[in-house]
Amino acid sequence: MPSNWGYVFAAYGIAAVALLTYWRHLARRTRALAARRAAKPRAA
Amino acid sequence: MTRALGWLAVLGLVVGLAAGFGYAPREAVQGNVQRIMYLHVPAVLTAYLAFGLVLVGSIAYLATRRAGWDRLAAAAGEIGVLFTGLTIVSGSIWGKPTWGTWWTWDARLTSTAVLFCVYVGYLLLRSLIEDPEARARYAAVVGIVGAVNIPIVHFSVKWWRALHQPSTILGPERSPIDPAIGLALFVNWVAFTLLFAYFLARRMEIARLEEQT
Amino acid sequence: MTYARRAWIILWKDLLIERRAKEHANALLFFCLLLLFLFQFALGPDRDRLAAAVPGLLWLGFILAGLLGLGRSFLGERENDCWEGLRLTPGDKSAIYLGKLAGNCVLMTAVEIMLVVLFGVFYDVDLWTPAAPLALVLALGTIGLAAVGTLFAAMTTQVRARELLFPVLLLPVQVPVLLATVSATQALLLGQPLADVAHWLKLLAGADLVYVTIGLLTFEFVLEG
Repeated sequence: MPSNWGYVFAAYGIAAVALLTYWRHLARRTRALAARRAAKPRAA
Repeated sequence: MTRALGWLAVLGLVVGLAAGFGYAPREAVQGNVQRIMYLHVPAVLTAYLAFGLVLVGSIAYLATRRAGWDRLAAAAGEIGVLFTGLTIVSGSIWGKPTWGTWWTWDARLTSTAVLFCVYVGYLLLRSLIEDPEARARYAAVVGIVGAVNIPIVHFSVKWWRALHQPSTILGPERSPIDPAIGLALFVNWVAFTLLFAYFLARRMEIARLEEQT
Repeated sequence: MTYARRAWIILWKDLLIERRAKEHANALLFFCLLLLFLFQFALGPDRDRLAAAVPGLLWLGFILAGLLGLGRSFLGERENDCWEGLRLTPGDKSAIYLGKLAGNCVLMTAVEIMLVVLFGVFYDVDLWTPAAPLALVLALGTIGLAAVGTLFAAMTTQVRARELLFPVLLLPVQVPVLLATVSATQALLLGQPLADVAHWLKLLAGADLVYVTIGLLTFEFVLEG
C-alpha cells in the first residue's frame, strides 16, 4: 500500500490556502470599509 | 469577541490536525489517504450548517423584514459555498488514489456538486441585484427553495446511484468504527464549526458596515 | 371574485394571447424538431446508441424547451407594463402563480406531446405501448419543472442577465426531477411495470407538492416591487 502522503498534503494544502485567502479577503474588506467610514465627514 | 472566537478556531484547528495526524491511527485498508476524511467530513457538515442558516435567515427575513436576517443568509451562503467547494476538492483528491479516478458519480460527491451549483446560483442572483430590499427578498425565496430541495436531491441521487453502481466498500461514506478515528473526526468537526462561526461573524459585520456607508 | 376565478382568468388570458399571437407555441414546437436533429447528429448514426439514450434525450429536450418557454412566462407582463397591474391585484397573489403555473403546464404538455411524437417517428422508438404510465411520469415531471420555473421566471424577469440567470438557478434545482423522470422513463421503455417505478413516482409526487406549495407561499414576495 503506497503511503499517498502527497495526496493528503495536497488536500490539506489546498484547504489551508483557500481558508487563508478567504480570511485575508475578509480582513481586506473590513479595512477598506473602516477607512471609508473614517474618511466620511459624518460621525459614525 | 470575534477576535477571541478567531483564536479559539485556530486552537481548534491545531488540535484537530494533531488528532488527525498524530492521534488517529493509520487506517488498515486505505492507508494514510484516509486522513483526508478529517478535512472532508467536517467541511461538508459545516456546509450543511451554513445552508441551514441560509434557510433560517431567508424565512426569518420574509417574516420580519429585518435586514439582519438577510445579512445572516448572505454570509452563511457565501461561506457555505466555500466549504462545499472544499468538500468537493478534498473528496476528489481522496478518490484518486482510492478509486483511481478524480471524479466518480457516487452519492455524496454528486449531491455535494448539486448543492454547490444551487448556492453558487444563489450568490450569482445576489450579485446581480443592486436594490438591497429586492435582493434580500429574491435571495430569500431562492434560499428556501434550495434548502428544501436538499433532502429531495439526496434521495434521488441515492436511488439513481443504486441503479448504476453497487456500493463501494472502500467509499468515504463508510462510517468509522475505530473510536480513535471517531474522536479525531469529532475534534476536527468542532474546529471547523468554530472557524465557520468566526468567518460568519466577520462576514456579517462587513455586510452591516456596507449598509451603513 | 373567488381565488379560483382569479387563477382561471390568468390562465385564460395567457391561453387567449397564445392562440391569437401564436408566438410561443409555434417557435417552441419547431425548436423541438431542431433538437431532434441535434441529438441525432451529436450521437451519430448508430441506431442502438440512440435508442439507449432516448429516455435521457427526451427529458433533455424537454428541459431545454422548458428553459426557453418558461423563462418567458412573465415577459408579456413586463414588456407591456402590466407588472403593476399584477401587483395591485386585490386578494391572494398566489392565485396569479397558480394561473401562470397552469398555463405553463399546458404549454409544456404541448411540447412534451410534440417531442414524444417526433421521437416515436424519427428515432423509431415504441412510445405507444407504455403510453399510459409514461404519461403519468411526464405529467409529474412537467409539474415539477413548471412549478419552480414559474416562480424563478417571475423573479428573473426583473433582474439583469435574466437569460443567463434563469437556467443557472433552475437547472440545479431540477436535478432530482431529471433523475427521477429519466430513470422511470428508462424502466418503462424497457417494458417494466409501473409498480417497479413506484418509488420514483412517489419522489416526483412529493417533490411536486413541495415545489407548488413553496411557489404558492412565496409568490407574493416575488411580486412586490
